Amino acid sequence: MRKNRFLNNYLGWFFLLPVLLIIIGFLVVPIFESIRNSFFTWDGFSPVKKFVGIGNYIEVFTNSDEFLVALKNTFIFQFGITAGQVTTGLILALIIDSRVRFWRAYRVIFFLPYVLSAFVVVLIWGKVFQHNGLLNDILASLNLESLQRYWLLKTTTSIPAMIFIRIWQFASFPMLFFMAGLQNIDEQIYEAAKIDGATTIQRITRISIPMIKNLIMLMVTMNMIYNFNTFVLVFIMTRGGPSGATEVLGTLIYKFAFGIQRVGYSSVLSVICIIFALVMGLAYYKISGYGKK
Amino acid sequence: MKSKINSRSNIFGRSSMQILLIFWGLMQIYPIFWVFTSSLKTRKEIVTNRFSLPSSLHFENFKFSESGFAIVTYFKNSVFVTFLTVMLLIILSYIAGYAIAKLTIKGKNIIIIFLIALLGIPIYSIMVPLYIYISKLGLLNRYIGLILPYIASHSPFTILMLQAYFRQFPDELIEAAKIDGCNDISAFIRVVIPVSMGAVSTVLILNFISIWNEFLLAYLVLKDSASKTLTVGLLEFVGEYSTDWGGLFAGMTIAILPTIIFYLIFHRNIIKGVTAGAVKG
Repeated sequence: MRKNRFLNNYLGWFFLLPVLLIIIGFLVVPIFESIRNSFFTWDGFSPVKKFVGIGNYIEVFTNSDEFLVALKNTFIFQFGITAGQVTTGLILALIIDSRVRFWRAYRVIFFLPYVLSAFVVVLIWGKVFQHNGLLNDILASLNLESLQRYWLLKTTTSIPAMIFIRIWQFASFPMLFFMAGLQNIDEQIYEAAKIDGATTIQRITRISIPMIKNLIMLMVTMNMIYNFNTFVLVFIMTRGGPSGATEVLGTLIYKFAFGIQRVGYSSVLSVICIIFALVMGLAYYKISGYGKK
Repeated sequence: MKSKINSRSNIFGRSSMQILLIFWGLMQIYPIFWVFTSSLKTRKEIVTNRFSLPSSLHFENFKFSESGFAIVTYFKNSVFVTFLTVMLLIILSYIAGYAIAKLTIKGKNIIIIFLIALLGIPIYSIMVPLYIYISKLGLLNRYIGLILPYIASHSPFTILMLQAYFRQFPDELIEAAKIDGCNDISAFIRVVIPVSMGAVSTVLILNFISIWNEFLLAYLVLKDSASKTLTVGLLEFVGEYSTDWGGLFAGMTIAILPTIIFYLIFHRNIIKGVTAGAVKG
């Protein structure tokens, strides 16, 4: 009996502790390490770390065009991709919810790119957007040579191209959630609207969308969190180039730490990313209902 | 069911919607199809006949004789890392998720908030201290230096999903086992584990895909060509002067085939699993 009580009281912690230790060791400690490093100048390997207080922060915020470009691009990617994914996902879900033929097959097909690695996706779409790639070929065959571009070498086209690639790969993610949400709407509401003579558009804007409003909010939050990973796409596709024009916070962190060995400066950018992530995590906590008892 | 079809069916014009869906569907499939077909072309045909089907099937690209691409090594490394990570990750997250949902722990809510807070932390924001840390521990080029960070970054999501599942797990099943003389541990082994295999397979598949595809950490930690995984190995084809398209397409085919086969077999679990656990269970 004593043994049993001991088990019941401590078994929980016994089960929880191994993974918590790994999380703390390889996620939490590096977070605090980033915060600490942001107050020093350091090249990353020499034993000397010089404490500079908020010196790195001052430099980032007052004296760095690179940072401003990266911050702007990060926001453009975050909001552009999230808006695109949620809108595309919603439109696809609304169409599929109207029970078009083969809707199950479409659902399976649309979700397929989700399983591809960022690296393969970059290689594939690189072949489409490169100057002698598929897109320019198509334009040529349509006699639209004037629209041909060096798509990945100009910011005005390379950023939209990368936003498109993310939407292409992950719009089906919110789509799945919206499909589940739309299926839960009571059929009688649609029946009633139909009898009252509501048009298709009215049914969508007055019934479907308001009924899944919370889900839309949840999707915006979740996609904002997942889209932090756009970094990998940019990192492989353009490396922040040409000449820093597509730089995002992630590529700048890499460049400053591993390229020019300014770990302190790089850590300030890390701290900014971590704060973003925590704020989004908090929003997710609120919206997902985890916060409610 | 009939009324369901009727009242929703004409929300949009039918045929125009079909065309839209077919268009989007082709856009999703064609690039993948194109990688597969290109890998079966000769090097010359890849350049001259880029977007059509191969005129005849050629498997030479998969020998990688020109590039010396160590496909067998990379593939084995990827399998090894992914397998070991997913196994450890699932076992540790499984017992942790069970503990949060079913066992007595003080401060459960704080643990959940802690895990959610970490959910969004992108790996690149901590890659610098992580890299320094791993190299100081002498774990560069060693799989343990990759597996531990993978577990750390994937477990918050995995634990949250599993604990959401366990919250809905009927206590009666556990109680019944205890009446039959089980204690917490034996009830767990005899009842909980067998019943929950469906939920486990879902998180297992999602984590398999994510870890098989992981690029950044593998790129930072595995510098040695004997230890590289497939995603990192493929970089060899992306040099400025590299023109070995045949090798590249063959390498890509081998890199994406496992996840695609997995998807085709388990798409039901994946589609269900993605939406589960996002909202409190």
